[in-house]
Amino acid sequence: MVSKRFLLKRLLLLVPVLFGVATLVFAILHLAPGDPARIIVGQRASAEQLQQVRTELGLNDPLWVQYVRFLTDAATFQFGDSYQIAKGTPVREVVSETLPVTIELALFGQFFGLALGIPLGVVSAVKQDTLTDHATRIGALTGISVPIYWSGPLLILFLSTYLGWFPASGRIGATIFLDNSWQLLGTELPLTGLVTVDTLLLGNVDAFLSAVTHLLLPSLVIGIYSMALISRMMRSSMLEVIRQDYIRTARAKGQGARITVLKHGFRNALIPVVTVVGIQFGSLLGGAVLTETVFGIAGIGTMLVEAIGATDYPLVQGTVLTFALLFTLVNLGVDVTYSYLDPRIEQ
Amino acid sequence: MSRDDTSRREFLKAVGGAAATGTVAATAGCTSDISGGGGESGLSGTLVYARGDHPANYDPQQTTSGEVAKVTNQVFDSLIRFEAGSGGTLADSLATDYSLEGTTATLTLREDVTFHDGEEFTAADAKATVDRFTDEEYDFYLGGENRSGYGPFTFGDWVESIDASSDYELTFELTQQYAPFLRNLAMFAAAILSKSQIESFEGSGEPQVALGEEPIGTGPFEFAELDNENNRVRLEANTEYWGDGPNVAEVVFREITENSTRASSVINGESHITDNLDSQSFQQLQDNDSAELVSKNGINVGYMAFNMERREEFRSQAVRQAVSHAVDTQAIVDDIYQGFAANADQPLPPDVAGHNEEIEPYPTDKDEAESLLEEAGVEPFEFELATFSNPRGYNPSPIQTANQVKSDLEEIGFTVNVNQFSTFSSYLDYTDQGKHDACFLGWYTDNADPDNFLYVLLDPKVPMDAVPDGQDWVSRDTEGYSTLNAAGWANTEYMETVREAQATYDSGTREELYKEASQIAHDEAPWVFLDYAQTLRGIHQSVNSDTFTVSSVGGPYLETVEIDSE
Repeated sequence: MVSKRFLLKRLLLLVPVLFGVATLVFAILHLAPGDPARIIVGQRASAEQLQQVRTELGLNDPLWVQYVRFLTDAATFQFGDSYQIAKGTPVREVVSETLPVTIELALFGQFFGLALGIPLGVVSAVKQDTLTDHATRIGALTGISVPIYWSGPLLILFLSTYLGWFPASGRIGATIFLDNSWQLLGTELPLTGLVTVDTLLLGNVDAFLSAVTHLLLPSLVIGIYSMALISRMMRSSMLEVIRQDYIRTARAKGQGARITVLKHGFRNALIPVVTVVGIQFGSLLGGAVLTETVFGIAGIGTMLVEAIGATDYPLVQGTVLTFALLFTLVNLGVDVTYSYLDPRIEQ
Repeated sequence: MSRDDTSRREFLKAVGGAAATGTVAATAGCTSDISGGGGESGLSGTLVYARGDHPANYDPQQTTSGEVAKVTNQVFDSLIRFEAGSGGTLADSLATDYSLEGTTATLTLREDVTFHDGEEFTAADAKATVDRFTDEEYDFYLGGENRSGYGPFTFGDWVESIDASSDYELTFELTQQYAPFLRNLAMFAAAILSKSQIESFEGSGEPQVALGEEPIGTGPFEFAELDNENNRVRLEANTEYWGDGPNVAEVVFREITENSTRASSVINGESHITDNLDSQSFQQLQDNDSAELVSKNGINVGYMAFNMERREEFRSQAVRQAVSHAVDTQAIVDDIYQGFAANADQPLPPDVAGHNEEIEPYPTDKDEAESLLEEAGVEPFEFELATFSNPRGYNPSPIQTANQVKSDLEEIGFTVNVNQFSTFSSYLDYTDQGKHDACFLGWYTDNADPDNFLYVLLDPKVPMDAVPDGQDWVSRDTEGYSTLNAAGWANTEYMETVREAQATYDSGTREELYKEASQIAHDEAPWVFLDYAQTLRGIHQSVNSDTFTVSSVGGPYLETVEIDSE
């Protein structure tokens, strides 16, 4: 059982972390060159127009005034309206629209990472120092080394352009548009923003298949790194476990190798992997930024890149803080789970 | 059972799983997404247009973005339009007759045109459109913080009053004789909005911003859905459209930011048309049978401006000419832009009236460059060349181009420090303030008028008497100075010529004046003239290429496009 004190302590720690991130993102944005007002009025506008827009946006106020205003807003997760990318739309709305897209991609990527990484890690450990092991380890090393901005276009070129197996972009067929809500027992309910779930809720099988097909390639790309890391972790953890006395004892009692590895070895070897998976999810969100850009998926990553390009201060600040919050919450979840599994962690 | 037996079984399971995944992918993934559409219009097929950006607001008065214009040009009509594929010839649109005499522009409007909400189009809509854009007194004024820089550019600086007392006659009274005015009416920012929609929002300023989320126009396609979750816009055919077309039931604009992915989406049939390609994507499309690359001469110019205010050395005509001779612009267009651009020799591109055919590009001649420097008594010096990093149409490889310039100039003793900027906004901020020694810039035409290049980019817009005698540059502090003149060049002979041409209505006389101005600009060399880039589009084989016209101004003209829905 996780103690309330431990939980409270960890939750309170979130405050300085988020404050630090908020200050950092504010400082970086405002110190970096670029003027959001210029993006809004365009190249053709006069200096007077530019100044008018700067005043309207409060960009002519002293920096500390802008900082205090930002912190006050951030405390209630109000970041105002997007300057340019989703002009006039509250940042909170934009984030809630795009975040599920990224989370879905990260979940699919994690699924690939686990589905391929764990078996490969086990095989590699069980067949230590054989050709299979070497091939798996080289594959894992390659997976960790290959950046998404390279593997993504390469896979598109090969599997999409030349072989035509997968769509090159988007997360659903270009001509498939979904309703905005679904019905349950006559009640209209909002959709989740997760396209695979929404298509099922709407009972649209064609759209569901299209969504799954569209997600396969980007998930594979994002999952390769995860797969590589998990398989390496699984291998070393498994190697450690299968040398333990209790494994030898189980075999000595006459238990079969498969049962021994799967029942005793696998479960114990999985514990450190679970930790990695939790922390890894944060990296997957980061990886989604690149993957979305390469595959033309309209998630929070693509939006963030565009917002940075357009110096859309409210949107960048809101998005980065959302990422920070998510990352810290996932880590908190991992810590809590771990302390549940091993109460010594709380000490 | 041995340890090996166990692992073999696991391995086979993994292989089986992977094979199953592959099979699903192979069967489900090889479908084309672009055969849908249909519906109530009786037309069939959905035309999918892939582009690099997805703005969330489609109000033509709130943006200078070409990405917005691609959509609003389908939804709205303007009073006059650019003829498809013509390079800027004016044609009837919501106005069937138009003239400009003195300071009065008179237009006869088309009857029996309705907006997508069923309201009839009259002169009152045109007046409300202009008032919303420019008149602070109007109850439904868009507001200075919301309207784009095109507000003053199209109407605000020129329109004194509008008479819309008759339903189908519209009269603009201008503040001065201004020849490009009719062309301004054809720009996307001058699209005609619905008065009833404008006045359906509660007052001026912020409430007006929402118009761009559900715009209502008279164009060939109706705005049907803004899908921000998937960065798409869906338009439906307007079957009551007064003009030719549309020929498809729907148009979907989708965002794919990565150039090569966008090109791939056309090759494998996920999209029909794409644009804003880079040299790598050109290659992809050219090498594939299922797609083709179509092109047209663009109305744009790419250049390197000398900052004459900041660097005294650049105030010498001989030094500017020497640099122009030293930079191998032909190699830049041939090797870096892969032949998808022409070598520039003057500010006006070839398809614009006033382009002077007799002018030739500065030949690359290092000896000539050195002798010009000697003549000027200037030793090769060190200077900064500022550049943006991301490709733009008129300069698809800015960093490579900067390095080429650097290496060409270093051959004759210059030291060039390339200063690259990651975002275009920070770059413009820098050049607007005149902090550059020299910089890359370029221009896409707004209205295909020579004034849009020669006056906008090279006239400082200061009073003639503000230019000191014997000086051909002005300080940025001079009242009225336009930062679009990145060179700070202020040649009074040139200024008089382009200002006279701006107020001249006789096309022959006007053209001659611009040819003269072009010659002065060429000889004085305030810029190194780099290129005129082609306008390129990738189209899938299912598009009937005879029905798609690449346009260098206005468009895209999607109402005429036919696709094979199979």
